Amino acid sequence: MLMMARRQGETILIGDEIEVVIAHIGRSRVKVGIRAPREMVVVSREVKLVREENAAAAAPPQSSFVNLIAQLRPAIQVFSPRSDERK
Amino acid sequence: MRTFDTKNFAAVSYGTDSVIDFPAGLPGFEQRRRFVALQFPDTAPLVFLQSLEDPGLCFVTLPVRAVDPDYRLQVSAEDRELVGLPAVRPLRIGEDVIALAVTSIRESGPTANLLAPVVVNLKNRRAVQAIAANAGYSHQHELLPQEACVCS
Repeated sequence: MLMMARRQGETILIGDEIEVVIAHIGRSRVKVGIRAPREMVVVSREVKLVREENAAAAAPPQSSFVNLIAQLRPAIQVFSPRSDERK
Repeated sequence: MRTFDTKNFAAVSYGTDSVIDFPAGLPGFEQRRRFVALQFPDTAPLVFLQSLEDPGLCFVTLPVRAVDPDYRLQVSAEDRELVGLPAVRPLRIGEDVIALAVTSIRESGPTANLLAPVVVNLKNRRAVQAIAANAGYSHQHELLPQEACVCS
């Protein structure tokens, strides 16, 4: 992995079309500005993971819907007595 | 009461005050804004998040504290604003919000997404899938760890 040290306000170029600006450096987070062609998708890694996870969660093979509940049930038995969200 | 024909639960009756509104949808399902939460005695505490716009779209979820009794909920300022939650105060699960982990089945077994729980504001029933980027939770938390499966 290429590592580069940059200060606030400085910029990194990726190819000819992508510009990454270190907009603000806080105590524990940095704000990054990204200029890229409109068709290029820019999301945080977490958003991509969650998107993929949701797609997998929403598309169980139809026959497995009942199966899924059956598979989840042992987990529920283990955990539910300690849940504080049950009335 | 209205009814909606679903793929998995046949016709579901619901009051308009029980509709959960996702102003921004969910990641990957940005156009799906209206859901109802279904619970059945046989499958408690599973909560089925059924879309009211797509009969076949249903997320099977578990309350986060049913998965991890010590779960610490983190909701970013942006997400709080989106669903009308107070900006700074810690959120009380069960009083201010409910927090649901979306489950899925993988070859290795069922997992729950603790990285991004669905957080529902109980005051206005607005919801967001809140990504807790730095809380250290997995998007594929194993519900049945391998060790627990050794039965014989």
